[in-house]
Amino acid sequence: MGTAKYLLGKLGQLFITLILVLSLAFLLFRVWQPGDPVATWAKASGAKLNAEQLDQIRHEWGLDVPLPRQYVSYMGQMLTFNFGTSTILNPQESVSSMFWSRMAKSAILIVTSTFAAIAIGVLLGIYGGWKRQGKVDQASMSSSMILYAMPEFVLGMIFILIFAATLHWFPVSLYESPIPKTGLSHWTDVINHMALPWLTLTLAYVGEFYLVMRSSLLDVLGEEYIALARAKGVREKYVLRKHAVPNALLPTITLVALSFGFILSGVITVELVFSYPGVGKLSVDALRQRDFAVLQATFVISVIAVLLANFIADLTYAYLDPRVRRA
Amino acid sequence: MRTVRKGLLVSLSGLIIVLLAAGTAWAQSASAKASASASASAGDSGGTFIEGTINNMSTVNPWKAIESPEYEVLALNFDLLENFDKSTLQAAPGVATSWTQSPDGMTWTFDIRPGMTWQDGQPFTAKDIAWTYNKTLDCKLGNSLDYLVPEFTKSITAPSDTQLVWTTKVPTSAPIRPPWVYIAPEHIYGNDTCDEISKEPFFTEGHPMVGSGPFQLTDWVKGQSWTMTANPNYWGGAPHISQFKVVLYDNSEAMVNALKAGEIDYTNLGSVDLFNQLQSESQSGSTNITTHVGPAVTFGQMSFNMCDPTSPDAAAYCKNNPGTGNPALRDPAVRTAISWAIDRQTIVDKVLAGYGEPGTTIVPPFSSFYHYNPTPDETIGFDINKAKQILADAGYKDTDGNGILNDPKTGQDLNFRFILRAESDIGARLGQYISGWLKQIGIATTSEVVSDGKLSQAWLSNDYDMYIWGWGPDPDPDFILSTFTSGQCGTWSDTCYSNPQYDKLYKEQQTAATPQDRQAIVFKMQDILYKDIPEIVLYYDKSLEAYNSQKWTGLEDNTSPQPDGFLWNQYTPYSALTVQLRSGASASSGGTTSGLLIIVGILGAIVVIVGIVMVARRGKSEEDLA
Repeated sequence: MGTAKYLLGKLGQLFITLILVLSLAFLLFRVWQPGDPVATWAKASGAKLNAEQLDQIRHEWGLDVPLPRQYVSYMGQMLTFNFGTSTILNPQESVSSMFWSRMAKSAILIVTSTFAAIAIGVLLGIYGGWKRQGKVDQASMSSSMILYAMPEFVLGMIFILIFAATLHWFPVSLYESPIPKTGLSHWTDVINHMALPWLTLTLAYVGEFYLVMRSSLLDVLGEEYIALARAKGVREKYVLRKHAVPNALLPTITLVALSFGFILSGVITVELVFSYPGVGKLSVDALRQRDFAVLQATFVISVIAVLLANFIADLTYAYLDPRVRRA
Repeated sequence: MRTVRKGLLVSLSGLIIVLLAAGTAWAQSASAKASASASASAGDSGGTFIEGTINNMSTVNPWKAIESPEYEVLALNFDLLENFDKSTLQAAPGVATSWTQSPDGMTWTFDIRPGMTWQDGQPFTAKDIAWTYNKTLDCKLGNSLDYLVPEFTKSITAPSDTQLVWTTKVPTSAPIRPPWVYIAPEHIYGNDTCDEISKEPFFTEGHPMVGSGPFQLTDWVKGQSWTMTANPNYWGGAPHISQFKVVLYDNSEAMVNALKAGEIDYTNLGSVDLFNQLQSESQSGSTNITTHVGPAVTFGQMSFNMCDPTSPDAAAYCKNNPGTGNPALRDPAVRTAISWAIDRQTIVDKVLAGYGEPGTTIVPPFSSFYHYNPTPDETIGFDINKAKQILADAGYKDTDGNGILNDPKTGQDLNFRFILRAESDIGARLGQYISGWLKQIGIATTSEVVSDGKLSQAWLSNDYDMYIWGWGPDPDPDFILSTFTSGQCGTWSDTCYSNPQYDKLYKEQQTAATPQDRQAIVFKMQDILYKDIPEIVLYYDKSLEAYNSQKWTGLEDNTSPQPDGFLWNQYTPYSALTVQLRSGASASSGGTTSGLLIIVGILGAIVVIVGIVMVARRGKSEEDLA
């Protein structure tokens, strides 16, 4: 009974947040944008269209109806995941299809590198917390600090400089070679192109997970029930596995959910540095060329992704710690 | 026992990784060998010429195109009625082999090249041209509608497959500007309504774009790359290369690195710093890249708010949107003084690193036939004292002793709102230089660096005193000249300038019967603007190009327009026809394949070692526990 109520409450919060964020996005992209988007686009792109043709474009973009009506149709579109067609980037093409073809490329990067970062960070954190001040701990502590402090794009540029421009081990950028390969070589070519962005994203987040896992484990190891377990003569490994780590994992799970938003923004910078054609690059292209339909879609989908990640974290939290459900 | 098995599992997976790496290494070296032998047999023709760009292509519908990569593709995939002359960019024989103008100047008759075909094999005739032009006029299509002078074109017809007749209500030389409207195939799009034709994609996956040019768009991965394949039946002769490909990058640094690594062959660079770096490397012989400084086709301008709602000549838009322009700027003396206080050469040297020319008139020098160069007497140079004198003669004095001149009519300080573009690399720096010079002549400025959206809002509501932006005009001057007519206030006018004499001359240049007559009028119009100064052309910036000269040849002897043209032509297909592989150069692009394998190998080895250690140690701890 408590669980269902908890679940419903969280879902309600999720929906209200979504409505608020969507409204904010409308204000951001439609109301608070200075200037007439058509005139700005035309002047910046050099379109030599006459006044009548510019009005026609305003009509095509749905800008010639009053704002409240724009808001209603916008909310209807967003809540049904109908993102309309692209206005500038690829006119007439559906935003959803543009988005998903890019999403596949980003998803491989995000998912694999996040899992790798979590696995490496958490395992090293457990080991570091357990064998505090050992050689492994000291080495991973200092490198984690450096990686944690360094912005993704700097890390990416360092990798380009070392592994691409100097050693020529990896290509500088893109998703595949300019002249595409076929068969098995195509896939090694793609992995080859993905290697540096992947390494950048992974290493950029390892530090964070390591630091949180380590300090949280240290906290738990100082608790009285750990001392009791040890006093009872429970083996050290068993203490760690059954008593310390599960409790120490709680803050790390929160962090994983929270950092999902940061990883999404990290993907944008990494994709830009490596000219990797994923969703991050798509949203920057949309911003640069003022394709509001695409911009809205990337914004809304990112928001939903982050909200969902937090929702899942809440559920996991409740599962791991029954007190949360009852509170 | 369980932990021992776990260790074995880890070792095994490590071994699999190592084996996979070895397998792909073998596959890659095999395919590398295959492509190397393919390129050797191709010899000097063939090969894919790859351009890197940071500008995306959005559409290839010829009536929807706006951005430069779109025009690049269209220029290679389609034909115009006439070609641009390689040297002067005036009309040269192309699809139309010759033309005559009737004595009254109102009927143009074109002979159309016989025996031409579309890329799908259908015959290309004068009827396709007539259909394209009439569709453009009827549906008011595209960026280039005005090239067909809709106001006074009477009819465009094709009496036969090899003849096109264009009649107008007044004499005009518009039909040989040449009209920048790409000829589309009637047999494919002939049944489209206006709405349908403006929404035609012209290219879909598996359906190459059908035109009549030397190349055909055959592949387009949106937001990543697009590929054009040579048309062996092109009327002007088959290209040497078999493909032309454009790859999209996000930043110029990555693009230059790719050029140096041999992943791409050519790029037109926006960054002066990267160009300088490439140039010094190429001079020291440490790269295979050759740099080239191309023509000045764009200009940067500083515009004054000329909207004067009290003037009888004011445009209707200006009367309805009077804005906030400082009336002092409507005094020609103030604008002239400002013009004398700007050191255009320093701007070129310091802001453009020398890759530009000091600006004068609104038709850039690459449009050589129509560019008006002021005489030495007329030329406004850099002279702070002269600028001060002009202001003093006009009655501007510092009456309140704060170091800033006061307007004799209102007593206000001469303090102008100066809007600069945040989205331009050089906007803020230009503003600093100019504000510094204006301070020397007693004019204060309040600078605002804003987004393009905010600037266009200020510009369209006449809510500014001065701003800096730029233009990239066509070879034909009609459009850029039109932006100073009063009718363009609220649409394309930079300044809401209104001058009945200028408006009259604009109409006259459209109806000049010959290019020579038109040239004289166009010169006069530029002269009026240069002296009246609604805006100052600060500089013409040059295009900066670089290509892999170890691999490719045939570009440097074919620049267009002359003398300082583009390596990779922007208006003409010439260099796309002449570029070819240097003899002995390999057609396969450079690149790296070993890195992945090294990393995978190392990773695999680590996993194997960890596994072995686990087996050994776990074995030991089991013993301890026993």
